[in-house]
Amino acid sequence: MTAAVRPDAGVKLDGTAVYGTDLDVPGMLWAAFVPAPMAHGRIRSLDLRGARALPGVTVIGPEDLPRLLGPGDRDLERPLFASGEITYRNQPLGLVAAPSALEARAAVAAVRVEVEPLPIVADLESVFPEWPGSSADASPHVAGHVRARHGNVESEFATADRVVSETYRTASVHQVALEPHACVAEIRGETWYVRTSTQSPFGVREDAAALLGVPEASIVVDGTWVGGGFGGKGSSFLEPYALLMARATGRPVRLALTYAEEFRLGRTTLPAVVRMDTAVTGGQIRARRVRLLLDVGNSLPGRDFATGYSIGFLLGPYRTVSFEVEGYAVRTHKPPFGPHRAPFAPQCAFVVESHLDHVARELNLDPEEFRHRHLWREGDSTALGQKVGPFGLALAFEKAQATARQWRTEAPPGHGVGIGCGFWSTSTGAGGEVRLRLGPQRLVVLEGEREIGSGSVLAGLSAVAVRVTGLPRDRISIEYGSTAEAPFDSGVYGSRTLGALGRAIEEAVVRLRRTLAERLGARGQAELSVERGEIYAEAGERRAALTVLLTEEERASGGVVADGRHFAPGGTIDERRVVAGSFYPYTDFTGAAHVAEVAVDPATGAVRVVRYAAFQDAGTVVDPGAAQAQVEGGVAMGLGTALTEEAIWSDEGRLVNDGLLDYRIPTLGEIPPISVEFIEGFAGAGPFGAKGLGEPPIVPVPATVALATRAACGAHATELPLSAERVARALKLL
Amino acid sequence: MTSHLHLTVNGRAVDLADVPAPERLLDTLRWRLGFKGTKEGCRSGDCGACTVLVDGRSCLSCLTLTHEVEGGAVTTIEVGPEDALVARVREAFEKAGALQCGYCTPGFVMAVAGLLRERGTAAPREEFLEGLGGNLCRCTGYSAIVRAVDALRTEVP
Amino acid sequence: MGAFELVTPATAEEAVAALQTLGPGEATPIAGGTNLLFDLDSGRIAPRRVISLRQLPWRTLDWTGDALTIGSTLPLRSLEDDPRVRAKYPGLYEAVRNVGGVALRHRATLGGNLVRASPASDLIPVLLTLDADLDLVGPHGDRRVSVDRFVQASRRTDLRPGELVRSVRLPEARPSAFFWQRVRPANDISQVVVAAAFSPSERSWRVAVGGVAPRSVLLPESAAKLGTGRPTPDAVRRAAESAAERVTFVTDVRASEEYRRQLVGTLLGRAVASTVAAEGFPR
Repeated sequence: MTAAVRPDAGVKLDGTAVYGTDLDVPGMLWAAFVPAPMAHGRIRSLDLRGARALPGVTVIGPEDLPRLLGPGDRDLERPLFASGEITYRNQPLGLVAAPSALEARAAVAAVRVEVEPLPIVADLESVFPEWPGSSADASPHVAGHVRARHGNVESEFATADRVVSETYRTASVHQVALEPHACVAEIRGETWYVRTSTQSPFGVREDAAALLGVPEASIVVDGTWVGGGFGGKGSSFLEPYALLMARATGRPVRLALTYAEEFRLGRTTLPAVVRMDTAVTGGQIRARRVRLLLDVGNSLPGRDFATGYSIGFLLGPYRTVSFEVEGYAVRTHKPPFGPHRAPFAPQCAFVVESHLDHVARELNLDPEEFRHRHLWREGDSTALGQKVGPFGLALAFEKAQATARQWRTEAPPGHGVGIGCGFWSTSTGAGGEVRLRLGPQRLVVLEGEREIGSGSVLAGLSAVAVRVTGLPRDRISIEYGSTAEAPFDSGVYGSRTLGALGRAIEEAVVRLRRTLAERLGARGQAELSVERGEIYAEAGERRAALTVLLTEEERASGGVVADGRHFAPGGTIDERRVVAGSFYPYTDFTGAAHVAEVAVDPATGAVRVVRYAAFQDAGTVVDPGAAQAQVEGGVAMGLGTALTEEAIWSDEGRLVNDGLLDYRIPTLGEIPPISVEFIEGFAGAGPFGAKGLGEPPIVPVPATVALATRAACGAHATELPLSAERVARALKLL
Repeated sequence: MTSHLHLTVNGRAVDLADVPAPERLLDTLRWRLGFKGTKEGCRSGDCGACTVLVDGRSCLSCLTLTHEVEGGAVTTIEVGPEDALVARVREAFEKAGALQCGYCTPGFVMAVAGLLRERGTAAPREEFLEGLGGNLCRCTGYSAIVRAVDALRTEVP
Repeated sequence: MGAFELVTPATAEEAVAALQTLGPGEATPIAGGTNLLFDLDSGRIAPRRVISLRQLPWRTLDWTGDALTIGSTLPLRSLEDDPRVRAKYPGLYEAVRNVGGVALRHRATLGGNLVRASPASDLIPVLLTLDADLDLVGPHGDRRVSVDRFVQASRRTDLRPGELVRSVRLPEARPSAFFWQRVRPANDISQVVVAAAFSPSERSWRVAVGGVAPRSVLLPESAAKLGTGRPTPDAVRRAAESAAERVTFVTDVRASEEYRRQLVGTLLGRAVASTVAAEGFPR
């Protein structure tokens, strides 16, 4: 096995890497939010005088915004502070800044707010105790409504051999990056400048501009090292507030969340209820009905994307002749729904796999053969009419079956082996650019994405550059630049980095090599190599040290420059199948099939994963060490979603387990040995056919664990997580 | 009330005046002394990101009053190559690729170094792995960290 | 967390005096601090004075034959590291090594755990089965009180104003066991625990359960059903049923009352089996 080679290992192992939480600027003030004291209410008064009276304290409330905000267009649907109605607990009502953290907390405590309580909509059940009828999309509690259909659903259900109906519930899970959100903002002349821990510096710039009413060009975002993102740092959060306070005080301002605030304010996956109805005739799935109620917290009506996006994962990766889906994004008094790693897809795969396994068992069919038979192959049509591209899931599934067969012969009593699979679509198509500079000694790739940890930037892009230039790794540097220095990139999310920036590097290198060939008086692209410590270019009959081919100016500025960009629109769906709302095509079809052996304690219901195997459809593996690391990390995170992670909200809209003791992510002792195999050859959208690997590994994990648990003890889980207590109930121990 | 405090940090004597009694070792290290390598995570003793060594033993610096380690020898991730044990742990982590975002890494390195110092490499593997149950990692899934620990245990001490 | 003064007395007398000279809630001792600092951060307590016990000579482990006196400020890790504790008091060893993580146990103490008197404490059920006594020092002299009398309810103990726990005395080495049910294999708070011990001198069992309201308790009826030596499987079953009936379990974010009740029987069976297999159990 190849260990990941990490150029950032040194600074992370000697304590010199600076993260958002480490930023320390002379004269810095410490800022903190004034939190709403209840989940729903009307603000009668907000008295900031007590806080303002404290020495060195500045307070910004809603009334101060007009003089601080810029004159440009602003997103008025997203006010920075709640000023009339509070719609989730701890919603920011204002912001204080003080010379120290302690004094900032004291200032927050000195704020007096009077709120008239309003009824709290805490969960899905309080909005829709039963499945909503056809007029539900008019409800003020509905942020989005999607509906699609195809084929003869009613008649298929009416004439089916058998209809199997089930309801599933999945819990809210949190990203739990170890580093809480943190940033430091300053006003430098005309520039609003912020250093922040983020997955998307350009995204922060765009969003801050929209919230502050200033042009993007006057905002500079400089990303620090990031202590984990997983979707939670994918868009702006604290930055606009810190910038505003920097403007108000003329001082640098640090705004960071405590870990309790991370949980309480976190925008993440929220609870869901899914109803699945499947009509089977002659051993074939003839029609499916899927109904989804997705809690989206305080999400804005009309801006929900989650529901339409998620429904696709409830339909795939299985061939569906006729179907009807309906999804409601339901507003509750919680912070808004936000992206997690492969947002909501692991929950969808859990539902789909558990349900189809159950359907097969009800019909006395082999559950694995049943699923395998219906899996998408390339050229099949998704439920929404998009052609499935190169897709290695069927092969991954077959390999999983072989492993499962082997493990079953070895498994002791009380153990069970199960297979789960799923798919993901990476966001490779979102825009990204790079600027390459080739000098006599090295190639520098300037790009606007920070290495957030996965290795996709420093290892993955490095590996791509090696392949397309032929230069050795130690001659290639991937350099991060702020929004003022580097070309645009959408950010690290959707497993897109390797694909998008990899392709951009490919394009830039082609330009570079053509330019050099021209300078050598030849056609085509020059070949690059290293000789006698220097970089050489060769084309046609000629060969020269790079230094000879550079202009005066290039020699002075470090080398010859070439730009590359990648932006690829995704595929298309058949819009005729859409009845309401928006659905989304996929860019890449990335499959994964996993196997788990679990042991279930028959007296307590506790599930322990004994060993695990992951078969990943990877297109082409560009950096084996980094790829392995992503699968190991994704599986571990999936085990948390499967077994222990559940954010519990009270009827008052308060997060009960707002700390790492009672919100349990896996610890070292809970991870089984994980074997990983990559399936190559089903080309994806990235360079050399690579498929992004940041998210796909997490998708099948809860499904795999659930099916292994069923195999071990017969308990059919219809809820996540599979806590010992839930399994005990399913086993009728309680 | 504040008073004089004397510590050794990474081998160097440190004298501090005016450290308030409620101050945590984590904050003294990070904000007063500028040793940002030790990370702030949960601040409630549940994640281990703040782990340092005090007199060679692992310590959750977020849950330790600085005054309570008066006179002690504190080791953080910034310690130089003169600490051969920490250097070995760093090397094992680098070789095994046992880090991704790196935020948990200083705490893990200190926790592993502490365990090695306390138990030696001869202690049972389970004891080591259990001993790391107080350090959370969200990126690596621990597999590479376990490989690093296994490599350390098979080295000649 | 507000400001406070930190004093570091060198003797028990100074510590008691520092505690006593302020009103209730105004002064509090700190040993490992692993519970106290939470309470300070959350604002549950706001003392003016915190009295560090670190200079007191209470980090001790004193054997008299197989009877053991544990100083109240001895870090739990030191208890865990002692091979004789592991051999002579296996139930205590098992409970101690499961408290939090290693770094926490370098600071956390028995005294602190007892004074916090959490219904979720792993140590209190074990100490109950070992018939542990506490030696207290205070402004009106020393006194001894059993753990059973000392622990009253969550955060409520028999500690009188100005008193400190100096040591915990275990009168007799006992084959013993401790079994827990919780989510994680390590570093977690238990949902429910059962401690069992057999007294070789009295030829009788002790059974205690934790994760119950208002406090961990001994279950003398269950213990009686186990008999005077190695119990039959039927006796264990009856003891387990009795255990489940007698106590009120907690329902909280970690587990429901029902689930905890269900588990007690299983854990009791396991604890009994492990005790029977331990060193010192009469053959």
